[in-house]
Amino acid sequence: MQNLRNLTLLALPFLLAACGGSKPAGAGASNEEKKLNLYCWAEYIPQGVIDDFTKETGIQVSVENYASNEEMIGKLLAGGGKYDLIQPSEYAVEALIQDQQLQPLNQGALTNLGNLAPEFRNMPFDAGNKFSVPFMAGFVGIVVNTDKIKTPIKSFNDVFVPAHKNRIVILDDSREITSWALGEAGLGINDVTPENLAKIRPMLQKWLPLVKVYDSDSPKTALQNGDVDIGVVWSGEGAILYNDNKKFQFVLPHSGAHLFVDNMAIPKTAQHPQNAHLFINYLLRPEVGKKVADEFPYYSPNRAARSLLSPEQLANPASYPPAQEVSRMQTFKDLGPQAAAVDALVTEIKAGGK
Amino acid sequence: MVAEAARGWMRPDGPTWVRWLGGGWTVLVFAFLYLPIVLLVVFSFNETKSGFRWEGFTLKWYEALFQNRVLLQAFGNTLMIGAASTLLATVLGTLGAWMLYRYRFSIHRTLEAFIFVPMIMPEILMGVSLLVLFVILNFQLGYLTVIIAHVTFTFPFVLVGMQARLQGMDPFLEEAAMDLGATPWQAFTKVILPYLMPAIASGALLAFSLSLDDYIVTVFVTGAESQTLPLKVYGMVRVGLNPQLNALSALGIILTIVLVLASERLKQPAKGM
Amino acid sequence: MGGAAFSDTAASHPASATAGWKAWLLLAPLLIWLGVFVALPTALLILTSFSKRDALGRVIYDFTLENYLNSFNPTWLTIFGNSIFYAFLATVICVVVGYPAAYTIGRASPRVRHLLLTLVMIPFWTSFLIRTYAWISILSEQGLANSLLLASRIFTDPLPMMYTPFSIVLGLVYNYLPFMILPIYTSVEKLDNSLIEAAYDLGAGPMRAFSRVIIPLTKPGIAAGALLVFVPAIAMYAITTLMGGGSNPTIGEVIQNQFTKARNQPFGAALGVLLMLLFLVSFLILSRRKNVAHAA
Repeated sequence: MQNLRNLTLLALPFLLAACGGSKPAGAGASNEEKKLNLYCWAEYIPQGVIDDFTKETGIQVSVENYASNEEMIGKLLAGGGKYDLIQPSEYAVEALIQDQQLQPLNQGALTNLGNLAPEFRNMPFDAGNKFSVPFMAGFVGIVVNTDKIKTPIKSFNDVFVPAHKNRIVILDDSREITSWALGEAGLGINDVTPENLAKIRPMLQKWLPLVKVYDSDSPKTALQNGDVDIGVVWSGEGAILYNDNKKFQFVLPHSGAHLFVDNMAIPKTAQHPQNAHLFINYLLRPEVGKKVADEFPYYSPNRAARSLLSPEQLANPASYPPAQEVSRMQTFKDLGPQAAAVDALVTEIKAGGK
Repeated sequence: MVAEAARGWMRPDGPTWVRWLGGGWTVLVFAFLYLPIVLLVVFSFNETKSGFRWEGFTLKWYEALFQNRVLLQAFGNTLMIGAASTLLATVLGTLGAWMLYRYRFSIHRTLEAFIFVPMIMPEILMGVSLLVLFVILNFQLGYLTVIIAHVTFTFPFVLVGMQARLQGMDPFLEEAAMDLGATPWQAFTKVILPYLMPAIASGALLAFSLSLDDYIVTVFVTGAESQTLPLKVYGMVRVGLNPQLNALSALGIILTIVLVLASERLKQPAKGM
Repeated sequence: MGGAAFSDTAASHPASATAGWKAWLLLAPLLIWLGVFVALPTALLILTSFSKRDALGRVIYDFTLENYLNSFNPTWLTIFGNSIFYAFLATVICVVVGYPAAYTIGRASPRVRHLLLTLVMIPFWTSFLIRTYAWISILSEQGLANSLLLASRIFTDPLPMMYTPFSIVLGLVYNYLPFMILPIYTSVEKLDNSLIEAAYDLGAGPMRAFSRVIIPLTKPGIAAGALLVFVPAIAMYAITTLMGGGSNPTIGEVIQNQFTKARNQPFGAALGVLLMLLFLVSFLILSRRKNVAHAA
């Protein structure tokens, strides 16, 4: 049925393109049409949560997904889509604020903001939640298959040793990889300068030839299948592995893991900003936050939602490590044009071969 | 005796052992092509979600699939976009190949170079430049833009296959038809088109397969309502392979095979398969 | 160029007429499509490759040669060599594996031909990712192949097959095989029986008939297949990342990263333009040499 309707729609896009004029934003919630265009990470907001929101408010939510912040920024800036709500990570929020791409949030409409843990109300990239509200957070840590690796693993330096050659999976993410090396070199994870990159180059040249698999999407696959024994992965992946089998232990590296935060934000070109506020406030509800945390075992910034989780969920060392560990973590700052240098460095060392 | 053997050798298909060898090899190739397919069908009935151990038979992934409105809609979108773009690409590719073969145009070489471009342009560059183009042209991102993009990267494949077929064609086939009183249009539809049919069929199959599975170009030119299956699959795989996807693929494959076999049977009602 | 680049004979009809207005009219769909959806985006791409970018990765249309100057770097050459190596290997294996199958299908009775051809394509109507994960389940250390090997006691330790050059080549061949089989099938299907019979009549054995008659007659199909496999395989990166573990970056991956990671669209565009130029020039040379050889 849906598809028949779609077929008829096919004939119209030209007309639609012509009359899809923008509506003035701002005024009362009542005069906004019941629509919300959501542009978010794939598989992050459970479908059930979206359906319940539609049931409750009558607002139809159409969802489009992206797989990286850069892809989202690219499409947003190109102006092709009309998005009301996006889900940028911390450094992307910083970059978008700097470029004045985001609308200031109407704090009065976000009555559930108080459910967030205090530290998430004051993140360095957007203090006071002026433009963004944390949705989910997580870390990058080390997963060890303790059946295979018996030596204690405490830091990235313990991962990248010749004994683990060809038994390592790491995230295929140049920024991440360089930040680990910066941490081990005693530098700040955000101190990305040409000099510091030159400093960590020898370390990376030692590390990367030991790696068997680079995978940012599903690094747990190689661990699960026994093709590798140790990995540097997202905490959510670590949590799934730990739930699957306790032999997969999750370790936060001593040199300092970093915290990533995915947020909800409203682009300045949004046509339904009030609906977007309604949705953000809805996501901040404890029971909704719990549903999200049930489905995706990352770190919930929502303290009220966390209190609804089972003891088992809270005991997963990858999802909820000790609070003092989390408070020590730093977030990524936007690198701007330096991102290209970081990517070139890692690509070059990878291509240098084994 | 010798003459007898020689006659066997003279068969256009070659001697028996050659045909057996070819047949055996083809069976192996099919086994290679279908091995992962058989596995994914098996996994679609597997109890466990993670890993590849067999942990018991279940239909729960199929149940979950039929309740997954978003996934089913993406599946429908994919088929619709695949069908529309295949149709357009096949017409465009066939007509284009024929015109370039039959007539001399002053810009012949330029045209052939541009036909080549979508095949050699890395997908992401095509996706991004088409996105910029659509924004300039003020096209709303959606079904139309996805179909246009798919036609653009599939029709050269149809055209190139067609050119290979045309190269061996008897150049006087068309002339002979016209000598027998056919109009150019009749000559084309009654003689040339049937001759081109195998290339049209294989070109359409290629175009359809390419369209069904495209991720990179589509992700840049799609809107929210025209989400295709590969986009959803990519997202779902990020959080671990969901057996619902195996179930969907298994259903798709089995349905296709049944349809293909049924249509073959319909063509030969008397002889059967 | 196009498929015709590889042809021994000119691609056009011997009696091809100079186009009149009707011919131009029939050509219009192709012309419009090429003009609007191919030439314009290509122009945009070339423009981008000479542009700058801002901190957010936005393209600033301000002329610079920087992107091209950065392209000539030994790293990218190594990566490019990698890409060519795998694409070439995949093409050769696809011909060897695919030709006998395409030949058998093309010589089958007309009734089963189409059926078999469709059966070749059907596996590719499932998602690439799902197929690839099925292969991972076969090749992993705890996968099907290793379970069988260990059970048969031929090996005592699992054989590392995943994330090796072997798995990359297997992935490439699997995914590009139909692109080889289809065009070869098309040219086998039109083989003239009388020519092969004549070869046998003249005393040729099956080997000679094959190498002297069948192969030359089906060469356009092989050439088209090689084109359809080699060209996409060069810019491909999903297979090397998923099946190979991503430790050998390919040119496609580098270009992709300029957009999804480095926010350096102009540089990605420059690499893309260079890649396309390389293709165009090599095919131009190929087709010219063929034409010269033919004339001589």
